[in-house]
Amino acid sequence: MKTISILTVILAFLMVLVGGKQGFSAFFSVLINFLLLFLNIMLISSGFPPLWTSLFSGICILAITIYMGNSDEKSSNVAFLATLAVMVVMLLLIVPLDHLVQVKGFANEQSEEIEAFNLLVGVDFEKIAISTTILSTLGAIAEAAIAIASGLNEVIEQDPQITPLKLRKSGQNIGSQIMGMTFNTLFFGMFGGDLALFILLNKLHNSFGYYLNSKIFVSECMLVLYSAIAVILVIIVTTWLMSRKVRPQRSA
Amino acid sequence: MLAKNKKSLIIFIILSLIGAAIYLFTLSDSFMYQRDIGKITHVSEGSSQRTEDEFKNVDHQHEQKITMIMLNGKQKGKKIHTHNSWSNSGAFDQKFHSGQQVFVDLQKQNGRTTAEISDYKRDTYLLMLGWVVISLLILTMEFKGLKTLFSVVLNFVVFLLFIELDVKLNLTNFFWLFVLSAFIFTALSLLIVIGWNKQCAVTFASIVIGTTGALMIGVLVLNYTGNDLHYEALDFATQSPKQLFLSATVIGLLGAVMDAATDIVSTVFEIKRSHPQIDQKQLFGSGIEVGRAILGPLINVLLLIFFAETFAMGVLFFRTGNSIGYTFEWTMSLGIVQSLISGIGITLVIPAASAFAAWAFRKEGQVENN
Repeated sequence: MKTISILTVILAFLMVLVGGKQGFSAFFSVLINFLLLFLNIMLISSGFPPLWTSLFSGICILAITIYMGNSDEKSSNVAFLATLAVMVVMLLLIVPLDHLVQVKGFANEQSEEIEAFNLLVGVDFEKIAISTTILSTLGAIAEAAIAIASGLNEVIEQDPQITPLKLRKSGQNIGSQIMGMTFNTLFFGMFGGDLALFILLNKLHNSFGYYLNSKIFVSECMLVLYSAIAVILVIIVTTWLMSRKVRPQRSA
Repeated sequence: MLAKNKKSLIIFIILSLIGAAIYLFTLSDSFMYQRDIGKITHVSEGSSQRTEDEFKNVDHQHEQKITMIMLNGKQKGKKIHTHNSWSNSGAFDQKFHSGQQVFVDLQKQNGRTTAEISDYKRDTYLLMLGWVVISLLILTMEFKGLKTLFSVVLNFVVFLLFIELDVKLNLTNFFWLFVLSAFIFTALSLLIVIGWNKQCAVTFASIVIGTTGALMIGVLVLNYTGNDLHYEALDFATQSPKQLFLSATVIGLLGAVMDAATDIVSTVFEIKRSHPQIDQKQLFGSGIEVGRAILGPLINVLLLIFFAETFAMGVLFFRTGNSIGYTFEWTMSLGIVQSLISGIGITLVIPAASAFAAWAFRKEGQVENN
């Protein structure tokens, strides 16, 4: 616990030093999101419906991440709208596919950790798997939406007379680089977190066919793929919404 | 315009055909597997049983009688009977339906074949989702999309190579192996996404500073507080858990730091490109401005990734009567430390990237157009 406290203080200090007032509110957004996630697990554990609880905290997390980390209201509104739209689309994709692919609960590789538990705990682990997927994609789409929206906003501020077409060109230019890097964030974040798993799987010498079907490997891969889809969608939607914003200004 | 539409239409049709081909192929690819695969033809529901544990968790367990037809191996074409039990919660089991394909363990005992379902066949869905991602990339970003994909695939291959190397060499200080891999990942990703130019060099320098700084702070704090983290709670650990944790932190941290640095540097360069007259101080200011805007969201990305993964375990701990403190310590604290160190790295890279990017234009320099 001491480690966590000291690191938290260092992070808060640095964030205020670099980000000023904005850094201070960004720190609080991380803190509130952490509390929301923790509360989410506790509520699900005490019997609240997992999907609805996670959706509710998901929308709260999106609003907090976008509005508290970003001071510019125009780009925040665009980012929030875009992420909400993409979240709905992702739900329509994830709910049926997660049911078909059956990656809920725990995998064979985890049996050692869970052998001490009685697993009949009366909570629907499929819904928990869906919640996990939705919540872990939210961060990435919020970040990509803000990066595009605020990047384009900087471009607009430097040149208020910019045409929608030129802006969309800038959007594509910034967007493709941001997408590449967001993919890397997701990739390193998720597979870096699974480093121990990959080493274990390598030691077990399984066949290629094993990977394509194993619960743990498929579920980690699908998490990355879902996030990739969400990020691509959110870049398209955000750029489109931003280019609509400059049009009325020009005619006025 | 018309020619372009026609071209997109052709690409769209080709992608759809490839998708259909993958789908149909994975439904009948059992001949490629060495493990026995059966297709469920009939399921009859058996008895159900209500269970209740010492924590008053009520669940239901159900029995199924399953008939399937073998799709490959020596028993190909034969009908096999087996049974399955599943629970409403489904933490370690699942309900089967007819039409599904499963991996089967066949055993001969006294001339009779007994079968047990060992795993569910998931390759169709995984490959279809991969196909959706690739199609979306090609349709929306064209060539640039493929470049992004190439960078991720290449990094993954390098990642696997380093894991292979780690297992083969079995070093005592394998942490440094993954630090080396981190440098290679950074260089590769930047070269592919940005290309070999000034922008790439500036971004690389800021990433190295941000990552090293954060890691040094992290290691200093960890050494100062001693062993108050439960490294043994790390899932799947087969090597020294502390080094494994630090290696995972470096790799997890790298992506986010790279992301922050690229966002800042690419925006500064884009502004310079459209406004060659802008001075250094304004460029630095714009860089910090972009950095401040993405600081919170980026740290939240990692928090969500690291935290969401603990959901199932956290629920299991809470439902079996563990206290909040105990559950936090054993399922979440490592992820939180990882998020905190990554957050420090992201924060450090913002001034570094802004300063380097502005410094790159110190004497009315022109942006090299790539």
